[in-house]
Amino acid sequence: MNSSKLRNRFLAAALGAAGVCTVAGLAAPGAVADETCQSPYMAKIVGQEDFVYVWTLGIEGLGDGQDKLVTVDTNPKSKTYGKVVATLSVGGRNEAHHSGLTDDRQYLWAGGLDTNKIFIFDVHTDPAKPTLHKVIEDFTAKSGGVVGPHTTYALPGRMMVTGLSNNQDHGGRTALVEYTNAGDYVATYWMPTDDNLRGAKKTGKYADGYGYDIRALPRLNAMVTSSFTGWSNYMMDFGKMLSDPEAMKRFGNTVTVWNLHTRQPQEVFDVPGAPLEIRCAWQPNHNYCFTTTALTSKLWLVYQDDNGKWGTKAVADIGDPAKIPLPVDISISSDDNHLWVNTFMDGTTRLFDISDPFAPKQVLEQRIGAQVNMVSSSWDGKRLYYTTSLLNNWDKKGKDNEQFLKLYHWDGKQLSKQFEIDFLKEKLGRAHQMRFGAYSLYAKQAPGAGETEIAQR
Amino acid sequence: MSRRAITALSAGCLLLCAAHLRASPAGDGYSGGDYREGYEGHDYVTRSLSLDTRTQRARASDLWPVFQAPPLGLPPIPVPADNPATPAALALGRKLFFDRRLSLNGTLSCAMCHVPEQGFANNELALAVGLEGRIVRRNAPTLYNVGYFRHLFHDGRETRLEQQAWLPLLAHNEMANPSVGEVIRKLSDLADYRGLFAQAFGGRGPDMETIGAALATYTRALVSGGSAFDRWRYGGDSQALNAAARRGYELFRGKGGCASCHRVGRSSALFTDDGFHNTGVGWYAAMTPARRAIRVQLAPGVFRMVNSDIIAKVSAPSEGDVGRYEVTLDPADRWKYKTPSLRNIALTAPYMHNGSLQTLAEVVRFYNQGGYANPGLDPRIRPLNLSAPEMQDLVAFLQALTGDNVETLVADAFAAPIGDPEADSAR
Repeated sequence: MNSSKLRNRFLAAALGAAGVCTVAGLAAPGAVADETCQSPYMAKIVGQEDFVYVWTLGIEGLGDGQDKLVTVDTNPKSKTYGKVVATLSVGGRNEAHHSGLTDDRQYLWAGGLDTNKIFIFDVHTDPAKPTLHKVIEDFTAKSGGVVGPHTTYALPGRMMVTGLSNNQDHGGRTALVEYTNAGDYVATYWMPTDDNLRGAKKTGKYADGYGYDIRALPRLNAMVTSSFTGWSNYMMDFGKMLSDPEAMKRFGNTVTVWNLHTRQPQEVFDVPGAPLEIRCAWQPNHNYCFTTTALTSKLWLVYQDDNGKWGTKAVADIGDPAKIPLPVDISISSDDNHLWVNTFMDGTTRLFDISDPFAPKQVLEQRIGAQVNMVSSSWDGKRLYYTTSLLNNWDKKGKDNEQFLKLYHWDGKQLSKQFEIDFLKEKLGRAHQMRFGAYSLYAKQAPGAGETEIAQR
Repeated sequence: MSRRAITALSAGCLLLCAAHLRASPAGDGYSGGDYREGYEGHDYVTRSLSLDTRTQRARASDLWPVFQAPPLGLPPIPVPADNPATPAALALGRKLFFDRRLSLNGTLSCAMCHVPEQGFANNELALAVGLEGRIVRRNAPTLYNVGYFRHLFHDGRETRLEQQAWLPLLAHNEMANPSVGEVIRKLSDLADYRGLFAQAFGGRGPDMETIGAALATYTRALVSGGSAFDRWRYGGDSQALNAAARRGYELFRGKGGCASCHRVGRSSALFTDDGFHNTGVGWYAAMTPARRAIRVQLAPGVFRMVNSDIIAKVSAPSEGDVGRYEVTLDPADRWKYKTPSLRNIALTAPYMHNGSLQTLAEVVRFYNQGGYANPGLDPRIRPLNLSAPEMQDLVAFLQALTGDNVETLVADAFAAPIGDPEADSAR
């Protein structure tokens, strides 16, 4: 990294720490990317990514049967383009799920929703071959009973981990847990409940204490969290759960807006039907985030109005809600004009025009496979990676249980497939979350490479 | 015993007895805390409690005196001669019961399915969920008063609590420990257990007998009586039971015929005959064609009919459940399940061996219609012709069976440490 880039990074970190930085100014205009779904405090890849790290669930009876980080070469100039170049098994099936990079992008934190372990991978020493640096095994004991480390989200020098459950009843009441980048426990922030709103205002009918995803809007000194369900539900057979009326009552119906600096919840909003991923807008005059409700299949806007007052609004249906398409991962563009929305049950990716955030319109729909969960886009929006697994026991059964990583190119009008890796044929497991790696982040070059990709914040 | 054999023996377990009826959470912190009453309607509002309430309400109690003097309405607790109840064994059993490290991957304790504030059952699931989310075929039964039963699990396949404890510990779809030896090794290595087994069992360390004995002593101490009914029936308090519950009791003994299986004695009542009966619930689940669509709740007041073919795509194949037959291989025992006690029934929804009925009112309606007709239906299950007010009275009676020591037992459970894995590792 050259000195000007270093300066930029320190400037961004300082602004971020102050919580007032206009992060949109750091994004390339017109960019569309999973990179823009990441923390604004994090270093970014704006050129060609060299690798995709796929946090993969082990399948009992397949290969070594354990969770692993799968490294795929994604640089078309490489001889191993489109191939698995490394796998790192971590021991056990931990319900591998989401992962997130530290703000300096040196380490990838990957959570296990079942065993509550957080695996910290070193991705900077050799981006082609990550190593396991540390395993946090006492997440539940240290946090005071939080179960299900989900989102691992970069704040300056910190990782904020959202929980999904607890060690008392394996239900949905849970907390945020803060760590240092070194992996030292800092604090637990329980989600507001009716008997203890922790200073927040219950704006509607619900304050369930559930959690799921988190995103920050530093310019507004805000964090936004969503709510899913507890261990009993996310671990159990999906069909069994749908048939269990008691279990179906245990889903989150809230979005909470927090004070980013103080980590205090401010307002709890009704967003019924399990709001999952949160994606916040980037432009300096766009004071909103999107989320989707998995069960009720709606796109929701969480927004601050001209008077600085937060609110929520259902702004579009996703597919036919009567068929429960189950919207899962979403990806916003950094110009805030488009949003990719995957629906698990029909294996379809959908593109919404969100240039009017209060009136999104679907402009594209394409089937990716029998099932699809995650979507990750390159910084320039030209490359979209898709994986399949939702949860070990929620994935489809039988022949519909396809497990793959697929790369598509997007030209603004259509998606065209470039390569596909069958994770079952390769004896790897269930392909879940993807994060990108690049030599250029660490002022390195690929062995034998003639040029250096550019990375910047 | 092989792991396969253990799995077969305990398939669908965590299950010590049979059906139970509906929760009516008190909202006092000694019940669930994630209340979903009224969730079916658009006007549902949360009344959630923070998990801190567990710490705030925790109060360790000496449960041992119940072995000398059980609560009103209950007989002396049968204690086997080879496992005398001692305070040290009781304390050790309590510690084991709440220790999540006792599962293969450190995620499940006994208490994760038998949740104290959910009636030592699970109000949030029809069917239990095991290690890595594996399917358990049956509802997690309450452990209240389990020490009185001669048959354990819904199908009665075990006869002693000391032995029963090992089945969930070793079942692949429950706590999934690979072997008896591995459980013993784990407990021998845990520093916080050092000396506890020796103290409780005359110098012996953890072994197959002492681990089972300690867990049995704790679960045996979970007796609950002294309910409004007990005070009225056995305590000489004529005002303890309200008029509706008294009418319900008359129906229970008379027109409803309930007491023929849920027995009430002269000096005590366990509300069970410890026998096995076919009410049609098991037969219905196994033998009737799948519905074309089922009604699924998506949010408060929001339901959708979902086609069965959609649900089938995300469902593991059914393992079936033939009840007591799986133990005896006698065709006459097909779809028979153990008669549960009715004590604390208001705390232990959902009901029946498969959790298929959600409320006490549904259960009473089910019996009033005569169960589900099938070739093996118990002759005592027949249409009862109860009127709506009569069914309400029966529910009122069932709600009067909640023990007066629930708070003590739950507060004591809250005071027990939850064993979670500790210590990070650098690689």
